[in-house]
Amino acid sequence: MIDIKNLHKNFGDLEVLKGVNLKINPGEVVSILGGSGSGKSTMIRCINGLESITSGTISVDGFNVENKQDLLEVRKKCSTVFQQFDLYPHLSVLDNITLAPINVLGNSKQIAEEKGLELLKSVGLEDKTLSYPAQLSGGQKQRVGICRALAMNPDYLLLDEVTSSLDPEMTAEVLEILKNLAKQGITMISVTHEIEFAREISDRIVFLDEGKILSDLPKDQFFAVDGGRADPRIAKFLSKMSEFNEKA
Amino acid sequence: MGYGAEGFSIYDLQLWAQGLGLTIWIFLISSILGLLIGCLIGLIRSYRVPVIGKLLMVISEFLKNSPVLVQLFLVYFGIPAIFTIDMTPGLAAIITLTGNTAAFIAVIVISSIDSIDKRQLEAARSFALSETIILRWIIFPQSLSVAMPMLVGLAINQLQVTSLISVIGVIDLTRVGDIINQRTFEPFIVWPLIGLTYFILAKTIAYVGTRLEKRFSAYRLTNEL
Repeated sequence: MIDIKNLHKNFGDLEVLKGVNLKINPGEVVSILGGSGSGKSTMIRCINGLESITSGTISVDGFNVENKQDLLEVRKKCSTVFQQFDLYPHLSVLDNITLAPINVLGNSKQIAEEKGLELLKSVGLEDKTLSYPAQLSGGQKQRVGICRALAMNPDYLLLDEVTSSLDPEMTAEVLEILKNLAKQGITMISVTHEIEFAREISDRIVFLDEGKILSDLPKDQFFAVDGGRADPRIAKFLSKMSEFNEKA
Repeated sequence: MGYGAEGFSIYDLQLWAQGLGLTIWIFLISSILGLLIGCLIGLIRSYRVPVIGKLLMVISEFLKNSPVLVQLFLVYFGIPAIFTIDMTPGLAAIITLTGNTAAFIAVIVISSIDSIDKRQLEAARSFALSETIILRWIIFPQSLSVAMPMLVGLAINQLQVTSLISVIGVIDLTRVGDIINQRTFEPFIVWPLIGLTYFILAKTIAYVGTRLEKRFSAYRLTNEL
């Protein structure tokens, strides 16, 4: 379980997170929605220690993110897929995927590569194993990013706006893969702008507004007119996003 | 004036070979030591080690921005005045060139590490990779590819700088040219030949450097889709 308690995060004088409490149970798929600057990306970055915590606590299966030794365990349990892919440009697709399994999990090169190939096959990139990231399209890069995360056998998959850098066609191919993952029962925490995607895969939807959780509801309730939508701020956000998505 | 110009002899070739050998030797040893020390300084600075990082940068600024000949005199005449060591011209040459090379290498190391996209390092950390692994497998190979052209340029420059050590009496290639010239009075034969020797050495470095550069940069030469 990921347990976030009274999380505060300041960047200088700017308070981005103002006391967030959130529990995520194994097997759950939770989408974090919210406007730009609502603090949703910062929150997900706090979970694996990429941002330091100003006050409050985060624990993952009992491991405290702020403890240096524990943080390594947290990072083994949580794999992140990044908005800008952030692949290692000098390594082949396969080496991108096997670097951490070999050096962190202690897998042999052969086992790591077998697993990597299997993952690449599952996202339709088995013919790109020896390519470099610069030779791939955005959608292909992000599929490699997903494989790199899954190669660690994570208990939790953190998705930080994974489709924001992609055009609609590439977005669709990446979302298709994530939908399948969600069905397989992996725990996912997804920060996203894709309302339809959130609606399709999530068990729960958390809405962040100005650094606070405005609502934390099961998906159906969140989208119900007398549920989440009853809040004017959420209604406004949803209508703005659907307008935007229609245009795109 | 009883001295007349003497012609070239077979011993001049031997002298030339000895000078060439010494120049290559001093160049190699000071380049390798300079590379190691320079990398260390660069890393200390890049990882923002307090105090010592700043101090090393002050020293390297001095070495970069003062004439090598002055540094050579400082080492050759200065160190024996303070410490009781037997300072030979060869040792002074190696110390000076090593220090000077290290100062330039440090700057190259820092700027090539800076040029790496930092987000991928964050990604690597998020997968629990240790800083050592990140340095070895992510930072080092990419920095090397960025640094290679600068390192080749520096090596060629430092090769030419070795000729300064002839001033304190090291019998390097330049000093050999001087000796032969004084005996034969054939400056237009001696110096072009000496110059040609440096030229060939420099071109060899450039050739090897370009080959290595291509190998380290394979991932960047591939076009975007």
